Amino acid sequence: MSDDKSLDEFLKSIEELDISYDMAPNPQEHSVFTGVTAEPLDFKTYAKDIPCQQACPAKTNVPAYIEAIAKGDPDKAYLINQEDNVFSGVLGRVCSRPCEDACRHNWTGTSGPVHICHLKRSASDYKENPPKPLPGWFEDTSKKVAIIGGGPAGLTAARELRRYGHNVTIYERDSMLGGMMVQGIPIFRLPRETVEAEVNAIIESGIDVKYNTNVDSVMLQGIIDENDAVLMAVGTVHPSNLKIPGLPGDGHTISGLKFMYDYNMGKIGDMRGQNVIIVGGGFTAVDCGRSYARAAKRLVGEEGSVTIMYRRTEAQMSADSDEINEMRLEEIEVETLMNPHSARTEDGKLVGVTFQRNSLDDSQGDGGKPKVHAIEGTEEEYPCDLLIMAIGQTRELKILPEGVSQTEGHDTTHEKVWMAGDFNYGSFDVITAVNDGKEVAKTIDTQLMGKERRKEHIGITMLDTNGETGRVRDHDIQFPPEMPKLPLFDRDGTAEVELGHTEDETLVQATRCYFCHYKFEINQDACIHCDWCIGVAPRDCINRVSRLFHDDDGAVTSSLEANLADEATYIWIDSNECVRCGKCLRICPTGAITMRKSEKCGCSSEEFEEKQKENVPYGVVKYDKY
Amino acid sequence: MQWTLGKRFVSEDEIIKEQGLFLDYDEIARKGAMTAEEKNISKWYGIYSSRHAGNHMARVVVPGGVLSSSQARRMCKIAEDYAQGKLAITTRQCIQLHWLKTPSLADMIRGLAEDSLSTFHGCGDVTRNVTACPLAETCQFKRFNVQPYVQETARVLTSMRDLDNLPRKFKITFSGCGAGCAQPYINCIGVVAVERKGTDGQTEHGFKVVIGGGMGWSPFIGKDLFSFVPPKKIVKVNRAIALLFRDYGDRRDRTMSRLKFVVYRKGIDECRRIVLQYLTDEDVSTEDIEAEAFEETGVPYPDRPLLEENPVGTDGKVTVRAMIPKGELTHIDFKRFAELSEIYGNKKVYLTNRQNIEIHGVKPEKVEAITADIQAAGFATEGFFGMRDIVPCVGTTYCPKAVTETRSLYDTLMPIVSQEKYKDIWDKAIINITGCPNSCSPYRITDIGFRGMRIREQMGSTQAYEMLIGGEHDRLGKKLGEFKTDDCPRVLEKILDTFLRVRKGDETLSECIHRMGL
Repeated sequence: MSDDKSLDEFLKSIEELDISYDMAPNPQEHSVFTGVTAEPLDFKTYAKDIPCQQACPAKTNVPAYIEAIAKGDPDKAYLINQEDNVFSGVLGRVCSRPCEDACRHNWTGTSGPVHICHLKRSASDYKENPPKPLPGWFEDTSKKVAIIGGGPAGLTAARELRRYGHNVTIYERDSMLGGMMVQGIPIFRLPRETVEAEVNAIIESGIDVKYNTNVDSVMLQGIIDENDAVLMAVGTVHPSNLKIPGLPGDGHTISGLKFMYDYNMGKIGDMRGQNVIIVGGGFTAVDCGRSYARAAKRLVGEEGSVTIMYRRTEAQMSADSDEINEMRLEEIEVETLMNPHSARTEDGKLVGVTFQRNSLDDSQGDGGKPKVHAIEGTEEEYPCDLLIMAIGQTRELKILPEGVSQTEGHDTTHEKVWMAGDFNYGSFDVITAVNDGKEVAKTIDTQLMGKERRKEHIGITMLDTNGETGRVRDHDIQFPPEMPKLPLFDRDGTAEVELGHTEDETLVQATRCYFCHYKFEINQDACIHCDWCIGVAPRDCINRVSRLFHDDDGAVTSSLEANLADEATYIWIDSNECVRCGKCLRICPTGAITMRKSEKCGCSSEEFEEKQKENVPYGVVKYDKY
Repeated sequence: MQWTLGKRFVSEDEIIKEQGLFLDYDEIARKGAMTAEEKNISKWYGIYSSRHAGNHMARVVVPGGVLSSSQARRMCKIAEDYAQGKLAITTRQCIQLHWLKTPSLADMIRGLAEDSLSTFHGCGDVTRNVTACPLAETCQFKRFNVQPYVQETARVLTSMRDLDNLPRKFKITFSGCGAGCAQPYINCIGVVAVERKGTDGQTEHGFKVVIGGGMGWSPFIGKDLFSFVPPKKIVKVNRAIALLFRDYGDRRDRTMSRLKFVVYRKGIDECRRIVLQYLTDEDVSTEDIEAEAFEETGVPYPDRPLLEENPVGTDGKVTVRAMIPKGELTHIDFKRFAELSEIYGNKKVYLTNRQNIEIHGVKPEKVEAITADIQAAGFATEGFFGMRDIVPCVGTTYCPKAVTETRSLYDTLMPIVSQEKYKDIWDKAIINITGCPNSCSPYRITDIGFRGMRIREQMGSTQAYEMLIGGEHDRLGKKLGEFKTDDCPRVLEKILDTFLRVRKGDETLSECIHRMGL
């Protein structure tokens, strides 16, 4: 173009007119057009654009694996999961699914979120290759790390520390690894083989395990002396209890935790005809209830009863509505707004527990749940032979060496001792434990090696597919199929109840996903305000805006919509409303709209700096779809 | 049935088209409004929705731009009855009626039919109005009269139901010589009459066929498909090209559907092979269809033949033109032209692609009288094909797609270009103004082109134009810059002043720019 002199005379003459326009800046949602970046702006934009991944404690790359499933590659989907959340077969069954609460479908559709969790399971079910150890990141460092506790947090930390190149030893109290995954979750929800396969993929990467080793304070001191770092990930083993007047001792009450451990280990004897009451409303309570029902052959027997008593309402139960429906099907009573009041014994044997009704307050207590108050005079006795207290567990901090206490997060007052998982923050779910294991591994590595060796960053690539992601708009509004379940009378207490989606159902679930990792953005310098994109957009996702409001990092926090063309400074894609249909890109006459893919990645810090040199700033790439 | 979703990677318009292309306008009149799908199918009947809700635009098809005086009078009646008395001539030689109300559409279509007029296939994914150079019948530079081929192509391609559902619109134009008055290089098919000496020394007539041109968002200059097609086969060749388009055009993305993209993606050689195959399949012998270049032996033609004032045709009769500002006129004025054609001309009214009107067949001695009559009606009779012949699209006045008010720019620019100081270059530049990238007024192939856009300010935005200069009927203009509407007049003035200063001899602005780039 620069060789073309044909317009020179004319351009020179126009320069005399001294025309220049004072234009508002060209707002950009990332700090680079393509490449790698770790600026706060990019993390904020990614967090807004991919809400499911942001909501996942382990930051699972949800859209990437769902896209892999939709494109018929469950093995790739499984690998993405394995990388991010370690136990994908496990989590595909038992995850608490914060991602689904954050799914864009919740506010852009009426059929509920994408069933992300079930898709994780489908990837696990349909993959062809068994789980294998993931490749390491760094050469052997000859540093030694000991991990006390082989639960989800400990195992995750072990895997990550091994990938950092350290020698890892796990000390496990039990004869098998998995912690709560094998002890606390009933086998009919999570088959033992699934856990074993994924645990083995970790151990096979070269991790030493000492089974049946109950670490006491003396032993712990020895371990600390022998190792460069010690990670305490022993979970929450101390069951919470409620003081109920008149309640006899052991044998009549049992903690939910203990019950589940015994059940999974096959240690529960005949309980035919007993009346069982479970107090609590979380996953454990539900698991106990269902497990107990099976243990007592409640499904086919008539004599006994199983009742769950919860102090608030179903809406506040940790179990989702699916779970609760399942329980009802299995004839497990759920009584809500009930508070244990007192117990009655006959001949030293528990025969009944009196419950008092609760009423909901308008105000909210800690944790956002509504407060309750007991209603006097509503006491009623329920027959009960066994009371299961499933109201949570707390940490046994006494396990820490003498004089050592937690300071903040993973850190303790001892420079070689760290904490992770439930032992770090109290009883919570598997996915949070996995994330904590990843985080603590990074912290320990940074401490051991004296610098941050892996860089978390956002990678952005340009896609030249004419705005097509492999989906059509109709995919957005498919009916999500329900999870197929084992027929009620075939449920024997060990067989898995959720059967997993068929391949066709999996495809429907997967193609519902908007693939939010694709980002559509308008280059305001190329936009001519024709508004055609606004016309074709299926939703209120593109608007004329007169002003954009930014936070300190440059991320757009809100906008002021304009009615008239004259008031419109920008034509703006609200990526929060965008369903990634690509219509705007296809209709855009000037190539102002581009589709890029943003992903959260990790690599060594050196590699990151090297990659950064190839970054392409905004405005360099002139997109021309023709 | 959601399991079949995978097969539906087509645009929404394609799904609507699959439901059928038929509408009952009396039923629509009863309902009082059209559904979105009906509005879409309505295009096949030549009816678009207006920028103003509840109003419609109808495009009356006028093959070759020739209306009998009777048809012209019918148009006046229809305009008076249904369209607030206004008619607009388009750059593709049609007539558009605006402000039509939904309940009157059926009656309007019936009214048009009384004089063999139709809006059918005025819009939609079909062969659109077939155009021709306005002087096709009598031009002194013509190889032969292409009008019969225009009429036959229009008739045959519109009546073929297997060409009803093309991927997108399909435009054909005929030129009587290579001068490009009918813009063959920016149509899907440009058919250009050629003349050569046959092996026996006899003069041989034929058509050169150019395909894959187009303006819009992504401009393409057409490529030579055939160098020589015997005239009697041209309709069959046009049909074969339509079949190529039908079968290979993109149905996923309507912005990439046009024939120009098929040619761009497949290459002209592959397109030629496919077209020849279609011809063979339909039992048309292809041995006398050629692609090699040869020496054209017709009379030499100037670059811009239409510049000639009151041209005398091969029949000895004169063509007299009337300048229609913005291409829009009232039914009273239009009726006057019908009348004048009856009094002085061949009883036909000719519509040009610069949105003007011509009366053909005027006896030389009557030129003065008809000129006086046209001027008395309030229309200029000079300045054609020059700076004062600015062609704007309808812009935001009617069009839902437009970004800018092109007609107000027309009003601002007219006094600038009409200044006496530009007298010498009045006929050395053509100016087109289009309100959006769709280029209804093709701004890229004129000496000076304006395309509507908006430029953002610190707060809000203002109407502006991208300005191109140096375009020619077969060459695209170059971008000069983007200017707010308020700045356009002084920028234009600078350009014209510079042109006055640097021009050599008789060259046009486009030639001047081309020369300076060498």
